[in-house]
Amino acid sequence: MMRCGISLGALLLLSVACLPACGKETPATIIYDDRATEIAAADQDAGQLWITTDDLKRATGFELKPQGVCRNELCFPIPKSREREFVRKDAGKMWLNLASFAQLVHQPVAHDEALSAWYFGLRSDQRQGLSSLEAPDFTSPDINGKSHSLWDFRGKKVLLLTWASW
Amino acid sequence: MPGWQAIYQQLKDRNFEIVAVAQDTNGVKDAGPWITAANPSYTALIDEKHLVSKLYNMINVPTGVWIDDQGKIVRPNEVAFVDDRFKNFSGLDSMPYLNALRDWTEKGSHSVYAMSEERLREKLTMNNPDIILAAAEFGLGEYLYKAGHLNEAIPHFKEAQRLNPKSWNYKRQAYALSDPKRDYGTTFMEEVEKAGGSKVYYTLPELTPRPAEQINQKPN
Repeated sequence: MMRCGISLGALLLLSVACLPACGKETPATIIYDDRATEIAAADQDAGQLWITTDDLKRATGFELKPQGVCRNELCFPIPKSREREFVRKDAGKMWLNLASFAQLVHQPVAHDEALSAWYFGLRSDQRQGLSSLEAPDFTSPDINGKSHSLWDFRGKKVLLLTWASW
Repeated sequence: MPGWQAIYQQLKDRNFEIVAVAQDTNGVKDAGPWITAANPSYTALIDEKHLVSKLYNMINVPTGVWIDDQGKIVRPNEVAFVDDRFKNFSGLDSMPYLNALRDWTEKGSHSVYAMSEERLREKLTMNNPDIILAAAEFGLGEYLYKAGHLNEAIPHFKEAQRLNPKSWNYKRQAYALSDPKRDYGTTFMEEVEKAGGSKVYYTLPELTPRPAEQINQKPN
């Protein structure tokens, strides 16, 4: 009876210590900057998406640094008082909640629960061009696969045209 | 596209470039034959992800944006027809737009058709969260379709259409990837009728010249 109680207590303690990550990691597909990455072990529940910082780097190019979540010159500080919504340490690894991070940087997220697919749209910093009147840059291939960027044409007047076959 | 080639020939020596970007989920497969047939000497690109429409908040094709030599927008999204092939459908005459384009390529920021900064800001402000989320739902739909999950893509295309009901791109591209009657219970023409008919399908370009005092005041 006594021994059973102890082990139950230990079990409870263990599950509390692991919450909310322990033992329920599942595969997920993350589409970020229109590039898909398969994640072997993500903790996805109730609209949250926890991934390791290794997977974060692989899927998004962002890294967790003392000053925030960063990619090259771009850095988004994490509010100190809300750190637990974004970052946790578990099983010797650092995890980041990419869904909370998206909310922080005003990035839309579309989620397909059945296929565990997560699409991350344009962050507010990527949408700023329009209010500054600067024409947002993009890079697309021509019919031969060669890439061209809008900003290659700086110094010329440009008529940007969209059309479609449909 | 052949029409634009003729305009390009006339205007390219005015330090002017045309960058035409196909918004086609199936990429070269769907857009390629049109480009090959037209064989343009201006820049013709293929944008499978509809990124240009997302970045510029475009809702239809053909859409034109004028960008000056500093990289600043001087006329935002508007319907840009090069000829009158679709005039019976839209009731739109292509001439006023092409004349305005000729004027701007010649005079730059002094053109009466370069919009004032104030008007541009009115037109370009984009902070509707539904429209921003619609782009992500459409992007997820495209990804799932390309990964072979058309049935799973459809609810996301529908969600994009619901969140941004003014976008014809979200409707027409999705319809083109499946049987619209079966999967969406409608067709393009039925949607056009619901929206008030083909004569209001496109919004007329605002081609009233800017008053002279605005032009001399401050070029954009």
